[in-house]
Amino acid sequence: MKNLKYTILSLLLLTAIGSYAQNNVDPGRKQAIDSLALEKVKDLSKYISIIGNKETQFSESQRVMDRAEELFSPGSEMGVSSLNREEISYYKVREYFERLMALNYDKVTIKWYDIHYVSDLEQQPDGTYVGVITIYQRFEGSSNDGMTYKDTTKKDITIYVKKKETQIAGRIIEFWDVLLGDIRVTETSA
Amino acid sequence: MRIIQSLTFLIILFHSSVGQSGLTYEMKETENQLYASNKQINQFFRRFNGEEDDDGNRYYTSDKKYRDASLRKKYIPGLFDRETSQIDPNYARDFVRQITDKRSPAFLNFHEDDWFAEVTTEFTFKGRRISGLLYMRLQQQGQGYEWIIEDVAFDQFQKLFDKDTSSTKKFMHPLSHELDFMTLRKAFHGNNHNEQFTAKNYTPDFLTIFLYEMNQGNMKFETVKNVKFHFFSIDGWYFSLANFNRPGYNTGWLISSLVPLNGADQKKQLKDYIYNKN
Repeated sequence: MKNLKYTILSLLLLTAIGSYAQNNVDPGRKQAIDSLALEKVKDLSKYISIIGNKETQFSESQRVMDRAEELFSPGSEMGVSSLNREEISYYKVREYFERLMALNYDKVTIKWYDIHYVSDLEQQPDGTYVGVITIYQRFEGSSNDGMTYKDTTKKDITIYVKKKETQIAGRIIEFWDVLLGDIRVTETSA
Repeated sequence: MRIIQSLTFLIILFHSSVGQSGLTYEMKETENQLYASNKQINQFFRRFNGEEDDDGNRYYTSDKKYRDASLRKKYIPGLFDRETSQIDPNYARDFVRQITDKRSPAFLNFHEDDWFAEVTTEFTFKGRRISGLLYMRLQQQGQGYEWIIEDVAFDQFQKLFDKDTSSTKKFMHPLSHELDFMTLRKAFHGNNHNEQFTAKNYTPDFLTIFLYEMNQGNMKFETVKNVKFHFFSIDGWYFSLANFNRPGYNTGWLISSLVPLNGADQKKQLKDYIYNKN
C-alpha cells in the first residue's frame, strides 16, 4: 500500500525528458513534491510512534525500523539537543531508532502536532533540490513507580528531491523522487 | 485531464496533516504558539516579504496577495523579539516604514542579499575542547548554491598574534642583507611573536590556520552550540536574527538587534566588529 501510494504521488511528478529545463520548480510541481515529501514524513512519524511504543514486539520494531530506514538517503543522521544540553549529539538514523526503542519507561506515548512547515526547494551544486520540513512531536514517558517525563521536540527534516529516469512503454520518462535526509531534533520550551 | 483530476483526488485522500486529532487542551495551546513561531529562516524570509497567507501557505508571484503591503505591515512587527532584545521602538518604526514604503518597498533575497551566519562551534584542538566562531555565507556553485566558510575566529589563534608596533620592538637591522641575513637566527631565537618581523599592514589569515590545523588532523569538529544571522541587506540598516526557544507567541527566528547605519564606514566598522577584526 505504501509503495502504491508513493507511486501514485510520483506519477504526478512525471515529466518527459527535455520538457523541464528550467532551474526553478514551478508552483504546481512544488506542491506535488511537497505532498510526496509530507507523505514520507507522515510515514516516518507513524514509524517513530510504533518504535517508541512499549507494546510493540521486538521483531515488529525491527521490521518498522527497516521500513523507516528506507525513507532516508544513505548516511542520514539525527542531530539531537535538549533544553538542558544545548550541545548537539549526532546519531545515525538506525541508532536513533534503537535508542528510542530502548528508552527506560514502562509506557511511552508519542503524538504529533497538527502543524508542519515546508520550506522552499533550493538547488544544490549537483542539481539535486533540497528542502526542510518542520514538524513537532509530543513525547510522554512514564514508569510504573509514577515518574513521568514529557517533552515537545521540533524536528527539522531534510528532504532531497532528485530527478530519476524510468522506462514506460519504451519511452524514457523522468520523474521526481523524494528521500529524507539529516534531521535536527530540538527540544522546545513550548 | 481526467487522470490528473483522479490522481489529485487520491492525493487529497492520502494527504492529511502529519499530526493527528485528539490533542489535549494543553497541546492545542502549544500548537497555536508553534504556529505563530518563525519555525525556519525560510519562514522569516516569507513573512518579512509577505509571501505566505495567515495559514502559512505559500504565496507565489501570480497570487494577488503576494508581497502585499498590508500583509507585510501585519507580519513584520511580529518578526521582532519583543521580550529580551530591547530594540529601540523608534528604530523599529522607521525600519518598518522604510521596508514597506509603497513607492520603494524593500524585500529580502535569499540568494543575493548581503547576509551571513555566525556559528558558535566546539572543536578538539591539541587534546583540549575549544570554542570558536565560523562565519558562513551562501555561494553560487555548479547548478545551485552552497554554504561556505568565509572566516573563523578562535581565541587560540588570535592570542598567538600580538604584534608589537612600538619603536622599541625587535627588528632585523637594515644592513642584514650584507650578512646573508644571519640576523634571522637571533630574531627567531626564543621568540613567540615573530609577527613583529612582518610588514606594517600584515594581518593574520585565521581561516588558513584553521584549515591547516584541520587538514593536519590537529583539530576535530565536535558540535554546534549556537547559530545567528547578520543582515546588511536593507539599505541603511543592520539587523541580526537569533532563535528564541521559549513559551509564548513571540518565538523562533526573530530580529534580535536593529542598528541604523550612516554610510559605508559604519557598515564596515560593524562588520569588522562582528568578524572580530577590531
